[in-house]
Amino acid sequence: MAGLLLSETEKVFILHGVQDDYRSDGRSNIDYRPMELETDVVSHASGSARLRLANTDILVGVKTEIDVPKPDKPDSGRIEFFVDCSANATPEFEGRGGEQLASSISNLMQRAYHSSQAFNLKQLCIFEGKQCWKLYIDILILECGGNLCDAVSLAVKAALFNTRIPFVKAALMDGGNVDLQLSDDPYDSKLLDVGSAPLLVTLCKIGENCVVDPSAEEESCSVISLIVGVTGNRQYYTQEEETDKKTMEGKCTTIAMHGPGSVAPKTLKEAINQGIIAAKSLDEALGQALLRERQENIGFKKHSYGFLK
Amino acid sequence: MPLDYRRFNGPEDSVSYKRFTKDYLKSYSELYNNLIDEKGRRKDGRALEEARSMCMFFARTDMVSQAKGSAYIELKKTKAVCSVFDPREIPHQNEFSQLGQLFCEVKFAPFSCPNQRRTHAPDADEKALSVALRQALEPTVCRHLFPNYQIDVFVYILENDGSCLAAAINAAGLALANAAVPMYDIITACSVAVIGEKMFVDPTEAEEHLAMMTPEKEGTNHGIITMSMLSELKQVSDFTQIGSMDTDCVTKAIEILEKECENIVPNIQKVLVLNVVQCIEQRKQLEEEAKEREQALNAKMEEWKQLLNSG
Repeated sequence: MAGLLLSETEKVFILHGVQDDYRSDGRSNIDYRPMELETDVVSHASGSARLRLANTDILVGVKTEIDVPKPDKPDSGRIEFFVDCSANATPEFEGRGGEQLASSISNLMQRAYHSSQAFNLKQLCIFEGKQCWKLYIDILILECGGNLCDAVSLAVKAALFNTRIPFVKAALMDGGNVDLQLSDDPYDSKLLDVGSAPLLVTLCKIGENCVVDPSAEEESCSVISLIVGVTGNRQYYTQEEETDKKTMEGKCTTIAMHGPGSVAPKTLKEAINQGIIAAKSLDEALGQALLRERQENIGFKKHSYGFLK
Repeated sequence: MPLDYRRFNGPEDSVSYKRFTKDYLKSYSELYNNLIDEKGRRKDGRALEEARSMCMFFARTDMVSQAKGSAYIELKKTKAVCSVFDPREIPHQNEFSQLGQLFCEVKFAPFSCPNQRRTHAPDADEKALSVALRQALEPTVCRHLFPNYQIDVFVYILENDGSCLAAAINAAGLALANAAVPMYDIITACSVAVIGEKMFVDPTEAEEHLAMMTPEKEGTNHGIITMSMLSELKQVSDFTQIGSMDTDCVTKAIEILEKECENIVPNIQKVLVLNVVQCIEQRKQLEEEAKEREQALNAKMEEWKQLLNSG
């Protein structure tokens, strides 16, 4: 976003647009820009996804490993996030430049996935107290065009949806140690229940209102943004028509503020509500796209695009 | 995990013996019942919505003599020291920054937490707290007054019994004021732990621990919220939430925290006013002493003059 210069009048123009819920690129305040999503792009990972939102390009790979569960949570698996800001994205990330941003994003994701209502770690348990799956989620930022948190959370959810965990065929107890035999067949594997995994929505405060997915111009008009993590709805991620239409309300799993400004309590409450509404529509769209993708995958009809675009 | 090789470290897969004690193996409901007694009071005798700001609060400034400003805050068993140092030029920076910067660091003492020993290397927890502290303090400091300079704010948590971020922010706000850094408003912070329907204002460590655990019943709210406010300006400078809760719960918590943040302001004001009064008294005393010395000197002068004239 280097070299972006806006005059006062241009800023006022953007501000007025936000006030009237009609932004300079024609979107409303809770609309996202078009995105491209492709899953299963990395062959060596258990699950992967690539997401492009405007100029932001994210690649997520999920690696699984067998680990010992934490002593205080013997029946749950573990999940860890790593963010890598490569200097390809912007020259500012060169050397240790992107470290702070990377750690803040991974921290935010860790916090968003903390609650079991967001992501149930019990499904990663193999042998209570002895062995569990550990998911390493590596997030690679290939190009940085703003709105990183939202893009990362979307890509992570897509990659987790795509993740396959092999079945355990046999377990041998050898003294106190457990010996596991895993299935070699790549299709003999289970999928994760990621329906309720949270999505992060960044709300940028411009004037009195908040907008989601700000463009670079809009970002420069704002001094404070609010990041809200909202749980997803399982209904959007299964083909079966669930008999009990228990529409799960989105719940906040993490809220954070970013930027040098501050907000009034009233604006904060409104922004959280707005974030939940935006997250709901985003979640629905993501669920549809992922289900379609899986359908194509099963029928071997999927055309792989990769990075050749 | 980086290890400190100058100390004896346990085997890599060792766990604290506390994990095998009776206290540790309690179930969720047992832990929950331990928090509140039959009368609806918490373990330390507080009501649910009662913070420690009223009778379990202690604050003072000028803790660290080498620092420009410093503060010490005690919320019963949560104890934090903060020191603020003179502005200095931002190191390793090529570009001129129009606004001054804040460098914040939160550190736990190795013995501060009840269950595990903290390592010397900053862990993810401490880094997150540092970022949150900086986020909270930035809006309150008049940063345009010291371009291209940074102010260092160091918080050391001596003992952690819950709400350590709130304590850190309160201490840092007081220390900044003590260091005479220009600020827009007094900054205060408070946290709340949500467990189901109940909201524990200004939670202790045990309450925080339970709020972070997964409730047995599916879909119940749980989590922790910390909010810092500039009370006079009615602005929220930082808001962090973790856990899982619906909007009604968050909205309710915001209202409670808003009130609570205001309740802390008089405490901070008292310390600051006391400081000013002390300063004035000290100055008066010094001036008086100086006057006395001058009088004595003048008397001596007269004496010598007379001696010279007579001789």
